[in-house]
Order: sequence, then structure tokens, then C-alpha cells
Amino acid sequence: MFSSSQFDGTSAFSGGGFMPSQPSQLANSTPSPAKNCETQGLLSVTVKQISEASQSGDEKSNFIIDGVDVNNITVVGMLFNKNIRSSDIRFHLDDGTGRVECIRWVTEHFDTSQLEALEDATYVRVNGHLQSFQGQKRLSAFSVRPVTNFDEVTCHFIECIHSYLQNSKVQSQSGSLSQSQPADSSLSTPVRGASNGYQPSLMNDLSMQYSADGLKSFDKLVLNYLQQPSNIDREMGVHVDELSQQLKAPKEKIKDAIEFLEREGLVYSSIDDYHYKAVEGC
Amino acid sequence: MDTSNPAAFVNGGLLGMHVGRKVRAVIQVIRSDVGSVLGKSTDDRQIVVKGSPPAPLTTYVEVIGVAENDNSIRAEIWTNFGDTFGIAFYSF
Repeated sequence: MFSSSQFDGTSAFSGGGFMPSQPSQLANSTPSPAKNCETQGLLSVTVKQISEASQSGDEKSNFIIDGVDVNNITVVGMLFNKNIRSSDIRFHLDDGTGRVECIRWVTEHFDTSQLEALEDATYVRVNGHLQSFQGQKRLSAFSVRPVTNFDEVTCHFIECIHSYLQNSKVQSQSGSLSQSQPADSSLSTPVRGASNGYQPSLMNDLSMQYSADGLKSFDKLVLNYLQQPSNIDREMGVHVDELSQQLKAPKEKIKDAIEFLEREGLVYSSIDDYHYKAVEGC
Repeated sequence: MDTSNPAAFVNGGLLGMHVGRKVRAVIQVIRSDVGSVLGKSTDDRQIVVKGSPPAPLTTYVEVIGVAENDNSIRAEIWTNFGDTFGIAFYSF
């Protein structure tokens, strides 16, 4: 999938940003906390971020970078100390922030003939899986390609900064959001500053409307009023007109809220269709 | 995993802050002599890069080396970045 993309500027832009859109589209059907359930497609990272990654506690033995489960990563840096062996090719990747050991397993010779021909201090893009081997972090590469257009180097670092800022923001907002939206701003031009402006406003809208348990703030107002002890005690319940007066809201809005709360099983009609009571023990 | 020798991104203005340390910079080549190259940094300051550049040299070249003073780098690694490079985007 990724290895078929070209090295021109447009693909360099979309390489890092395209993959994350797929997990978030799948996640749309099953809402869940942002950082736990959603592993990013391909995360742009620097070697320093790799060196600071911590191991996640579950059996999958994935790493965590900036609070996000890391599945596959992409790094751009210079290749050094290439060591060609019969079953694999090992080398170090130096991106200016550090060096990481990489290993490319060899199955067919023609797969890696291009890699074998690369010289030291050549810029390459490595896509692979981060793993732990004998206590050291190692990148198990499934794709090593030389960089031909050096705007890819600039773009990679900007993508690293972007993912870092995005994931840090998701970490701090994980209480109020049901889903993160990494795809949208990644698909728009990562280089321009516009993408940074686009995302925060999207997150603000979502957090304004929905509190953590999914009730709209107005529904909560109605529910709170009905849940007041004095209203709970009233056998006949509260008339919708009274709700409208007390909460200073139009009757239509009250009706919608009541319908929603009734569906959720939080309120019920008492003596007639206009009197409602809150379910106790909720 | 070795993060002990990072190379800091510098332009002309920042070079003075990393004297004696490993730095990296992309420069636009103005003039190329034997043993040194005169280039323009991303913030339009002149930088002298000493060492043996690869031949042929393209318009933009990235050098990684040790900063000698606030306008000169002793380069160890030269990478030709081509003639079309978004040097404006590189200034992050």
C-alpha cells in the first residue's frame, strides 16, 4: 500500500496523513475513548521520540508515543553502518535527533537489491514496526526507500511536529471528546499554518455540546430540575408548562428534551402526558 | 538507540549559539571554491562551509558538521538537495 506511492511533493504530503483517516472512519461506527481504541495508521516520528517511547502494559507489547498506541511508524533519516547478511540487512538510521537500529528481513533477493546498493549518508524513508529486542528498541522495517525530493525531509519533520501537537492535545482533552479527528487536518496541507487553526475549533464545538455522559446540556437542565428532591416527592409529577416557565425555555424545546429523556429511561409520565417525573435511583 | 550526538537545525542567526557542537543547515550555494563553499542560510546570512564538497554541487546543499564560529561550519557530511527545494518551508 504505502510502498507504491511516488516521491513527488503531493505524495510526500499525503503519505503521513492518509493512513490515519482509515482508522478514524472505522471508529465512527463504534464511539470509544480517543487514545485507547484508535491506533494510528502510520505515525511520523523522530528517533528521539522513539527513544522516549514507553511500553504499553497489554499483551500486544506495543509502544506508546505521546499517549498514543504506536502500530507502524515512518522515519526519515540517513543510513549508516549497513550490514548485509544472508537473512537480513541491518543498518542505523540517523535523523539528527539520534540513531536507531533497523533491520530489514530478506526473503527474496530482488526485494532488497535497491537497499544493498545504497551508500552511507544517504537519506532514506523507513516504514516499519517498533519492537523491543534484547532490551533495545529496534525498527523492523518493511520498506526502505531512498529520498529523491528533499522536500520530503522538511515535510517529515513538520508531520512529526504536527502529530506530536495533535496527540498532546487529544491527551489533554480525552475526557470531553468521544472521538479524535486526526484525519481532517492531516489531509489538508500540513505545511501551511491553516491546519492548526482548523482543528481546535472542531474540538471546541464538540466539547461544548456533549458532556462526558452524552447528555446535551439542556437535557441535563430538565433532568436536574425533575430530580430535585422537592419534585421527586410530588406524586403527580411536574407539568411541562411549569418546566417551561422555570427553565425559561419554549415548550417545544421542553418537549424534545422530555422525549429524549423518556427514551433514555430517565423520566416517565405520571398522571397524564403532560406530567413527568424523574426515575429514582439514576 | 543512541541519542547522544544530535545535530541541531541552525540558520545564520542560530549558528553562534552552537559553536563547537554538531549542527545541520541547508544553504543556497553562492560560490564554490577549493576547500570551502560560500552559501546563504535560510535567514539570508552568509555562511562559509569548509570541507570538500561533492562534485557537482547543486544549488541547495545540506551540511552536517561542527560549528566553528557564528558564520562558519566545518562540514563532515554534504548532501545535495537539488536545485528546486522549498527552502522557505525548511525554516521551522
